[in-house]
Amino acid sequence: MPRYWHQWALILAALGAVVVLLVLPLVLIAVQAFSQGATVVADNLTSTDMIAAIKLTLVVALITVPVNLVFGVLLAWCVTRYEFRGRKLLTTLIDIPFAMSPVVAGLCYLVVYGGQSAFGKWLDDTLGVQLMFALPGMVMVTVFVTCPYVARVLIPLMQSQGTEEEEAAVLLGASGWQTFWYVTLPKIRWALLYGVVLTNARAVGEFGAVSVVSGLIRGETLTLPLLIQMLNEDYNSVGAFTAAGLLAAMALVTLLLKTVLEWRQHHKLDAAQETTP
Amino acid sequence: MSIRVESIRKTFGAFTALEDISLDVARGGLVGLLGPSGSGKTTLLRIIAGLETPDRGRVFFHDRDVTTLDARRRRVGFVFQQYALFRHLTVADNVAFGLRMLPRAERPPRDAIRARVRELLELVQMDTMAGRYPAQLSGGQKQRVALARALALKPEVLLLDEPFGALDAKVRKELRRWLRHLHEQIDVTSLFVTHDQEEAMEVSDQVVVMSQGRVEQVGSPLEVYEHPASRFVFDFLGHINALEGTYDGTTWRAGDARLRLDTHGACPDGALTLYLRPHEAGLAPAPDEHAHLPVKLTARSVFGGTVTLELTPQGWGDRVLEVELDRDTWQALSPRRDDTLYLLPRVLQTVTCDGDLGPRVRPG
Repeated sequence: MPRYWHQWALILAALGAVVVLLVLPLVLIAVQAFSQGATVVADNLTSTDMIAAIKLTLVVALITVPVNLVFGVLLAWCVTRYEFRGRKLLTTLIDIPFAMSPVVAGLCYLVVYGGQSAFGKWLDDTLGVQLMFALPGMVMVTVFVTCPYVARVLIPLMQSQGTEEEEAAVLLGASGWQTFWYVTLPKIRWALLYGVVLTNARAVGEFGAVSVVSGLIRGETLTLPLLIQMLNEDYNSVGAFTAAGLLAAMALVTLLLKTVLEWRQHHKLDAAQETTP
Repeated sequence: MSIRVESIRKTFGAFTALEDISLDVARGGLVGLLGPSGSGKTTLLRIIAGLETPDRGRVFFHDRDVTTLDARRRRVGFVFQQYALFRHLTVADNVAFGLRMLPRAERPPRDAIRARVRELLELVQMDTMAGRYPAQLSGGQKQRVALARALALKPEVLLLDEPFGALDAKVRKELRRWLRHLHEQIDVTSLFVTHDQEEAMEVSDQVVVMSQGRVEQVGSPLEVYEHPASRFVFDFLGHINALEGTYDGTTWRAGDARLRLDTHGACPDGALTLYLRPHEAGLAPAPDEHAHLPVKLTARSVFGGTVTLELTPQGWGDRVLEVELDRDTWQALSPRRDDTLYLLPRVLQTVTCDGDLGPRVRPG
């Protein structure tokens, strides 16, 4: 418990900041969304554009998360379990999507895979595949932007855990796959879930890179963040805030999930320590 | 199953961990690999297990060349220094792991696995802890679980890396005795790594002394202690006092100190270093006809049956000497701190100027 007045003052200041910066905007989103009554909100939620955007957002996340889950685990495994030339370089390269502005990433993809480029043209002419201004391009940039999360969570953990348990498993006759499935995966599962939660949050909310490659075709290539922008520009503030509320709710659910996972892990650790003789 | 290692060489970058190592371990042996850290003993153990690949040389298990055989197919039992128990599995599941990983055709039925696990846990006296997780065990308990897990597949070769390294002195002693006993119960060839001389001497029936990637000497504990093959072995096995001085054919001198020595012509005149083991010297209030080695008592430690004394030479160097007396001798002498006493060596090891071991000599 705080004992002096300045301690109370600091706590109050922190609480004030939380209210002004975090709680108030969230409340205002809800207030704005419901400013013309619940029926308007319901209408907006069931409009074809909104439903298409929700679907698209979920599809992008559903593809991105498994891809980056596998990629992140492989990368972390590779970097922490093997010693090879260029290992340091690789760990640095993982951070590029963190360091680079998503808009720049989107533009890069547009330049390489778009209809203007030789490769994009070749794809279109010979295979009839259009990557940009369509779902594939949006998934590609989202995968790019979110690819460091899982690996970044896993690498320090796997480094600190070392390889002895894996070696023990191999000496007990376990194959590579058995070692991964029965030894490595259980050791990293909580961190892995955390990485997935982060990846998902980012994939759902991604705006910059996706807006560059989406082409903003209503009902086709608009994800929720893009739809919010569009509705806002159309002066449909109820629609914009309804979509924003939905996105915020998704983020909160993700956050809640993460907190529950963390709490469970701590709980488990505490339980293990309490029963130690 | 016997283990044979033939001219193994292993380098890590610019560092040579093992340099032309050859070794024979007879079936049923309990062999200690002894050496300071960095001497390559753990690397050798890992090569035998298949966790490292040698740059050169071969490993045989009973005349079968296993050099290129995968670690998982060598079927050795291995106990890691930090135990490496699977932290997410209970004690029983840890022990059952090897059996459960067997291909379906070889895997025993569920009940048989359970029975085998119980049997192993009884063997290591851990049957009451079957449901615990590794985090809930003490160091000694983890050690025994690790051993049970390593024995689950009935290996004919058991490799242990610093098996008692992380335990406190009392548990360590107990487990040492217990491991010896266990080794007599089961038919297995064991090789363990240690940097602790006492441990190697007590547990093993053969000691392999290693230094800087080379085998210095192989022999029974008594052999290597009584007849060390090199200066390093003598130096490494227990504490020694090095006395530096000059020799003129009859007398060794250093400052005010004199010691009559008859080396039967084995040591040339000139610089001569003498090694003195702490328990191979006495102390007296006065010098005798052969030895005049004045020392001052600076510290003592009384523990068990022996008393360890710290002595500072008086007028012949300043390197602190260590001497062990039995309790009765100590009480008969009962010197006080800062008293001047005279060192009376019984046996000394000569070291020639080129660093090799000379003959062992007595004063007189």
